[in-house]
Amino acid sequence: MTVRVRTLDELLTPPAAGSSALSTQEYFVNMGPQHPIAHGSLRLVLRLDGETVKEVIPVPGFVHRGIEKMCEKLNPRQIIHLTDRLDYLSAVMNNWGVAKAVEKAANIETNGRIETIRTLMSELQRIQSHMLWWGVLGMDLGAYTAFLYAFRDREIISELFEETIGARLTMNYVRPGGVMFDILPDFQEKVKKLLKYLGPIIDEYDTLLSGNVILQERLRNVGVLDGKKAVALGCTGPVLRASGVPLDLRKLTPYGRYGDVEFNVAVGSKGDCWDRYYTRMEEIRQSMRIIEQLIDSIPEGPVNVLRASARISIPEGTYYDQIETARGVLGVMLVSDGKSPSPYRVHFRSPNFNNLWAVTALAPGWRIADIITIQSSLDLVIPDIDR
Amino acid sequence: MVDNIPGIVENFPGGSILVTTIDSIINASRANSLWPLGFGTKCCAIEMLMATGASHQDISRFGAEVVRGSTRQADLMIVAGAIVRKMAPRVRLLYEQMAEPRYVIATGACSICGGPFQYNSYHIVHGVDEIIPVDVYVPGCPPRPEAFFWGLLALQRLIKEGESIRRPDIRRKPVMASLPQGITMDDIQGEMRRLLEEQNVVNVAESAENKIWTKRLKEWMRKPSSKP
Repeated sequence: MTVRVRTLDELLTPPAAGSSALSTQEYFVNMGPQHPIAHGSLRLVLRLDGETVKEVIPVPGFVHRGIEKMCEKLNPRQIIHLTDRLDYLSAVMNNWGVAKAVEKAANIETNGRIETIRTLMSELQRIQSHMLWWGVLGMDLGAYTAFLYAFRDREIISELFEETIGARLTMNYVRPGGVMFDILPDFQEKVKKLLKYLGPIIDEYDTLLSGNVILQERLRNVGVLDGKKAVALGCTGPVLRASGVPLDLRKLTPYGRYGDVEFNVAVGSKGDCWDRYYTRMEEIRQSMRIIEQLIDSIPEGPVNVLRASARISIPEGTYYDQIETARGVLGVMLVSDGKSPSPYRVHFRSPNFNNLWAVTALAPGWRIADIITIQSSLDLVIPDIDR
Repeated sequence: MVDNIPGIVENFPGGSILVTTIDSIINASRANSLWPLGFGTKCCAIEMLMATGASHQDISRFGAEVVRGSTRQADLMIVAGAIVRKMAPRVRLLYEQMAEPRYVIATGACSICGGPFQYNSYHIVHGVDEIIPVDVYVPGCPPRPEAFFWGLLALQRLIKEGESIRRPDIRRKPVMASLPQGITMDDIQGEMRRLLEEQNVVNVAESAENKIWTKRLKEWMRKPSSKP
């Protein structure tokens, strides 16, 4: 089998109009790099026939900072703060991904308290991330009220993070062998209060936006991604689960405290934008369930098994570990030569990069306005694509 | 509003008359109706454009809530996030497309100097001020929304005091908004230069005179050779 690689110049050459009188000229429209829908800097080149999209060509790289190359000069502890800047809406989970890979490579064993705190923080962040997505989806589709509601409640979690960690967005919290700070004495009480508050709030979200006729019309049966195609594209996270593939690393290969808690994996049936929407709404509820079960059973113990100055030596070899972030599977590959303190090569398998290419499969045949729905339902974070 | 404009208010039986300059009226209007461009590249966009625009921290209290998607309708560019080399020509283009007079706030470490990517990264632009002129810097990674508002207030003050219609291109010097207002980057740099020069210029001969070992060395040199 041969694959012909088409260059961007080749793709952007408009085809000649057909000889028939009814045939129309195809043309190109740029969406981005500065476009309100991109929520970052992403260029989508649309090949259009009238208003119907024939093809979408994503051109990423407008926020490429060379994080993977930078990691080769840094030791495993110093990598952590860079992973905050990958997918900044699931910063704790990205930190954990690297910490997990390093712990696996260097044979560091953590205790129950560390794992519980990590799990709790990750789930809080998952709720926070999905809330932001919900508000932004509403804003993209013209319902600005949703944005205001989502940020009102998201701010409570942000403040909780700020109290414990000291940062609202880029946490730098989980590190190899533990977490940065212990939780405060009133943390459990505050989380319980938050859960009590969030329960009715999520139902309110449903009555506010989910049942809306306009939203239903714009989401249902739009951008159907079937399971086989999703797997072939390498999609993960809610995008894949909405297509009916129940791949959730929290259930499949339980890490942290996920093995001890009961929760369901939200799975869609059809793979359209509505399924992706409701999968995430259900994930918020499941995350709340996980927190509810864990909040009272935080074991005692130190929050760091390593000293802050302890040298982490990774033996020679290639190590890979993966974690379920709010947007899918984040894989961390470390190659170590066993001599220098910094890894020889680091690679991040970021969930958004693979989810981005779902646009190319979903968009053809739909109108420009539906591209907005589709891209918003994929929940892309652009710096994670470009790294 | 009228109280904030410098001028004389004269009361008449049927109302009052404000005697002021056109500059102060125009500048006050410009400062209180900034239209920001929704230009976020990275993490700062969440805090600077989304969280500030939402209900908890409300940017419309400062008259700058009309976030536009198009550059042609905006006059304030909030550079929220890292700018890399591929994006740099586009940023310049966006800046030139904006309506004049246009203002730039650089928020976050990345857009001020490259931030965490300053070293070892081959693709980062070390500060957005290499491409476009910046009026106010708001440090942080990312800054808190309050810090951003402080920067916005600093910009409003700059606009109110700054430009005149007779000298349209002459602006005040950029301001680092985390510091007390009025201290410009030139002041900071000047102070730093003064300190560096003060500490680095060492009179070698004079300082060597005072050392104990110099005296001993001289004594030793004066001594006749004790060799047999």
